[in-house]
Amino acid sequence: MKFPDMLRTAFLNLWRRKLRAFLTVLGMVIGTSSIVVMVSLGVGMRQSMIESYASMGSLTNITVNNYRYVETADGGGTFKDVKLDNKAVDKIRKLPGVEGAMPQITAWGMAMSGKYATDVSIMGIDMEQAELFGIKLEDGEYPGNKLAGGKVQMLLPYDFYNNFYDPNANRWSPAIDKDGNPKITSRSRLKLTFDYSNVYTNQPGDPGQQKGKIYTLVPTGRLAQGGNDFSWYCIMDIKVLEKLAKENPNRISLNKKNYNQVIVKCKEIDDVLTIKAQIEEMGFGASCIQEWLKQSEEQLKQTQYLLGAIGGVSLLVAAIGIMNTMMMSIYERTKEIGIIKVLGCRMSNIAGMFLTEAAYIGFFGGVLGLGLSYGLSLVLNNFLESSGFKSIIPLYLAVGALAFSVVVALISGLYPAMRAMKLSPLAAIRNE
Amino acid sequence: MEAVKNAAAAQPIIQTRNVKKTYRVGSVDIQALRGVDLSIMPGEMVSIIGPSGSGKSTLLNVLAGLEHVTSGEIVIAGKRLDKMNQSELIVFRQKHVGFIFQSFNLMPYYTAVENVAFPLSFRGMPRKRREALAVEALKVMGLGKHLKHKPSQMSGGQQQRVGIARALVTNPDIVFADEPTGNLDSNTSDDVMRTICEVMRSRNKTLVMVTHDPNMAMYADKIIKILDGRVVDIQLNEHPTYLTPRPKRAIGDELEEQSEQAENKKDNKQGDTQR
Ligand SMILES: Nc1ncnc2c1ncn2[C@@H]1O[C@H](COP(=O)(O)OP(=O)(O)OP(=O)(O)O)[C@@H](O)[C@H]1O
Ligand SMILES: [Mg+2]
Repeated sequence: MKFPDMLRTAFLNLWRRKLRAFLTVLGMVIGTSSIVVMVSLGVGMRQSMIESYASMGSLTNITVNNYRYVETADGGGTFKDVKLDNKAVDKIRKLPGVEGAMPQITAWGMAMSGKYATDVSIMGIDMEQAELFGIKLEDGEYPGNKLAGGKVQMLLPYDFYNNFYDPNANRWSPAIDKDGNPKITSRSRLKLTFDYSNVYTNQPGDPGQQKGKIYTLVPTGRLAQGGNDFSWYCIMDIKVLEKLAKENPNRISLNKKNYNQVIVKCKEIDDVLTIKAQIEEMGFGASCIQEWLKQSEEQLKQTQYLLGAIGGVSLLVAAIGIMNTMMMSIYERTKEIGIIKVLGCRMSNIAGMFLTEAAYIGFFGGVLGLGLSYGLSLVLNNFLESSGFKSIIPLYLAVGALAFSVVVALISGLYPAMRAMKLSPLAAIRNE
Repeated sequence: MEAVKNAAAAQPIIQTRNVKKTYRVGSVDIQALRGVDLSIMPGEMVSIIGPSGSGKSTLLNVLAGLEHVTSGEIVIAGKRLDKMNQSELIVFRQKHVGFIFQSFNLMPYYTAVENVAFPLSFRGMPRKRREALAVEALKVMGLGKHLKHKPSQMSGGQQQRVGIARALVTNPDIVFADEPTGNLDSNTSDDVMRTICEVMRSRNKTLVMVTHDPNMAMYADKIIKILDGRVVDIQLNEHPTYLTPRPKRAIGDELEEQSEQAENKKDNKQGDTQR
């Protein structure tokens, strides 16, 4: 029997019992859509999770530290220093899949404005790589690399102006007016120092030392709030920070022979974990958001399986429905099957015909079920918008669900098909 | 060519030796066939006759490969049927056997053409070709005007003609028929039987049919009598009924028949030249 004939005959057989076929398909529609909607909720959960991690920093970044954790013989662990110098940075930069490696030099100082001050973490970076490492600006522009006339150009953290307080007051007194607005704004004049005795009047400072210089702080812009590993840093050009370090020898310690941290940027999100492993093999400690993401994904998987299983139950019921329908139709068609056996229909064709019928049910059920799923997904997304739940049906889920429902239908058609094969041709001759 | 044909003709197309068939119902054995020896030549038309329960249908089913024997040998067209499994039997039927049923057994939702074309679809024939063959076979049966009719829109006689067309469309060597006129009234029975025999003879096919009606049995060249699962008599029929002229009947019938016969003759010729 030719394949098109098989398709046609099977379709006609279903068509002859429209209502029953429709009801069986309906079961499959419900089964498919319940599994798709459940899984789509799981996909949505994963998506929101990734998004929330991505807002913590770039998913393609790895932070390399100048120490690593080693396990000791007694079962505990300890941190061991390793040297993270320019040579090491070059080596990391040459790893396949690495887009760039940026040493981070950090320093701590204070910003002042009038009687108010705030602590600042300062990071010096190579401005040319700023964009590559996802340092995004809320407003303004990147700072220059000159330190002229005591003016320091730098980028400020997003919420910089909210953190000022009076360091010399007896109790905690933030720089906030009675309406709750910060007193220090972008219009205020700002100063920067690395000597705490310039800020705290009750701290005399080290008598053996010169008083630290006070610089004029020139903000060039503000960092964007999210999606940024650096949003809480003040960022300046690495050369400026090096000059500042020279001018404040005992207050800023920069050691170019040993960076605290190097940020490594990977080209592909999928390579991050391999590159991290390679860096660890080189002896450095490394961490990345991907790692955390991976762990959460493992936990989420269990939830996803549970959701899938809940949806799967109704698909199972639908599959039993198919089996039932097929068995019924075999009992009804015993005579007909006998006749076509007498007329020379091969066993494989008989099985094929029944399997094709089952596959049709699975296919139509799957297609309509997908349609229903997209509809439900739309409705759910409208209702769940506020609760943080999301239903997402990616293409692989749609295609997979369709294939799955056809396969499930075929499996439930298997036993009826075998029964049909075994029926005797004599059924054709008996008269009921 | 002729020599080969003659040599083949000398061999029986159906031969059985000591065929037994026992049904077990509960703890009781029912011996439906108790040792049947038969030999049927190609082109022969044979009727099997006997009282109810004598084992006629059982014998036919066994010969058509619808049922396995309990013991004995069956050789048809040079093949040992008793050694074949279900799938081999189906392939065998595809190649060699046509079957006409008592209750017609047409697919009720198919038209005449689709019904006749159906067995060809199992042989993998493309749709256009098999429907063309089906139309031809139906015209031979005088059903040129009923091609698109469904079984429910046809008389019993017409339905059985469709059944005959379906049995012949695959061009089998042997046609088996179990009480082909069992569901028809006597006039129609004669018509249908005549049609079967004429077509079979013109194509030189072997026909084995079961009947309990002696009148119908007289259409064949050879009459095998069965009693209690044994062949008790084999008679040669010198004057098969289909060779005698049709008896006169009511005037209306005659008119209709004449027109039908004319159509039959024409179509017969066409069919023969094409084959
Ligand atoms: N499937 C079966 N199971 C048990 N016994 C059977 C079966 N088929 C036939 N028989 C028995 O075998 C015997 C012969 O049956 P068969 O059908 O061949 O008779 P028959 O000559 O065709 O009769 P009829 O003219 O009534 O059709 C009967 O006694 C019948 O009861
Ligand atoms: Mg019988």
